[in-house]
Amino acid sequence: MTPLLDVSNLRVAYGDRSGKRVAVDSASFTVEPGEIVALVGESGSGKTATALAIMGLLANNARVGPGSAIRFEDRDLLTLPERELRDLRGRRISMVFQEPAAALNPVMRVGEQVAEVALVHGERDKKKAREQAIAMLGRVGLPDPAEQYRAYPHELSGGMRQRVMLAIALLLKPSLVIADEPTSALDVTVQAQVLKLLLELQRESGTAVLLITHDLGVVAETCSRALVMKNGQLVEQATVDALFHAPQHEYTRELLAAMPKLKRRA
Amino acid sequence: MSDRPLVSVGGLVVRHESAGLFTRRATKTAVAGVTFDIARGETLALVGESGCGKTTTARALLRLIDAAEGTMVYDGTDLRALRGETLRRQRKHMQIVFQDPFTSLNPRHTVGAIVGEGLLVHGIAKGDAAKARVATLLEEVGLSASDENRYPHELSGGQRQRVAIARALAVDPEFLVLDEAVSALDVTTQAQVLALILRLRDARGLTCLFIAHNLAVVQQVADRVAVMYQGRIVEMAPSRALFDLPAHPYTRAMLDAVPVSDPRDRKERTLLVGDPGVTGVQTGCAFYSRCSHPAKDAACTTQQPPLVSLATGHLAACIKTNINLEPT
Repeated sequence: MTPLLDVSNLRVAYGDRSGKRVAVDSASFTVEPGEIVALVGESGSGKTATALAIMGLLANNARVGPGSAIRFEDRDLLTLPERELRDLRGRRISMVFQEPAAALNPVMRVGEQVAEVALVHGERDKKKAREQAIAMLGRVGLPDPAEQYRAYPHELSGGMRQRVMLAIALLLKPSLVIADEPTSALDVTVQAQVLKLLLELQRESGTAVLLITHDLGVVAETCSRALVMKNGQLVEQATVDALFHAPQHEYTRELLAAMPKLKRRA
Repeated sequence: MSDRPLVSVGGLVVRHESAGLFTRRATKTAVAGVTFDIARGETLALVGESGCGKTTTARALLRLIDAAEGTMVYDGTDLRALRGETLRRQRKHMQIVFQDPFTSLNPRHTVGAIVGEGLLVHGIAKGDAAKARVATLLEEVGLSASDENRYPHELSGGQRQRVAIARALAVDPEFLVLDEAVSALDVTTQAQVLALILRLRDARGLTCLFIAHNLAVVQQVADRVAVMYQGRIVEMAPSRALFDLPAHPYTRAMLDAVPVSDPRDRKERTLLVGDPGVTGVQTGCAFYSRCSHPAKDAACTTQQPPLVSLATGHLAACIKTNINLEPT
């Protein structure tokens, strides 16, 4: 089987007046169709830069190194013209960010932001797009979706806003969703709800998920495979079971040892 | 040593007023009658989800914001009665470390100035004596004396939090509030700073109020835990009892929501519905609409469930709790 996403030798550097900083250094990994892969690491390790490189959303001062390749559904994302990339984004590959409050448009009704995805990707009938959006808002668990369609982001709680983000990302059943710390800003009971929802949606649509997180608990709870990143380099790739029970790299062992573990009587 | 608790809070109520530009002035009760004691040398953890009132409780206790009702007594001193100079002198005994070391340190001051300020303000030391004391403090928190000339932006998150701890300890307080002090740190840094806090606490015999939302972290630190939900304590117990025999449905749900630490322990679980900010009822139990207790009924909505004792030191505010807390 050809992988859904094949990142090889990815190098991303940020340049500023004081010089160049390498954020991602020769990272190679794949994501298979329908699988949930964790990209784990601490702040500054290059997780988000990797995601943004895949999405083609790197800032202007970032450069992708020569020799880097990102193949997705048999297309090289790094050489694809912007117009074609725009067509892929939201339809075949989408992204969920950590802070839904910052990712959503504050002056646009949440339902319209969901419907917009359909409209941008070819739906001509506004009414149909609206119906599709309402159905999706219902699917992600917004109570009274027809009413909540008209809500503005600030009228929703953090958990509800992240559900809206999932509705936007998964509306067109993309084959890959990159979720960048999707539950890190949420309370623990809400985090559990949103992770469960993400898994349900993932199963329904057969979407693969690249889940970026610093929380090993989230990895243990949801992922099948994990990539560990440190200082821009992938230091270990393994199934989640192997990662937790037979970590190979010193840094992985360090992370596991530092992870706060809740001890409960069985 | 007396049996008198170092800190005693009774019936604390804190209200926030929002005076909107276009909306009517509204009052929100952030803390709705909270009562707890902290014994000398004890660490009490205050846990709960965002908006439950844990930080507001701590800030009212430190007199950083005003309480509307209730009593707050520190070692026999009525904290609410303190004004001006007496309040200023009291602050020497009670210090705080905030969550975000990026906003809690003055970016224009050097580390030395930040840590040394309390010494000057409280007349503890000045000149070379202050400088020497700052150097000792920096070493105590795992930095080096030469770091005194650096500015916060030159430091990592973990180093900044060490500076914040040194600043809090500079005036030699007895009581320390740690408000999500390790929550913003990366996991390996978090473990190091947490170890530092525990070491300093034990070496100095500090009494602590440890505020956190991460239950696994709380378990490592607390002697006793109070769980807050919408401005009220819904359960309070010695740490061991709270984690092994949680009595309130909210405490149980919160513990169940914590991700497993081993992929082999994954299991189907019942999840709470709704958000911590949603109030289902005006009277009665604030947790009612999210509660999954099999026996919940109309009785839960008629009156505020009182915090009652289930076992020695174990209190819970749920009229349906019938859990057997006797040790087996």
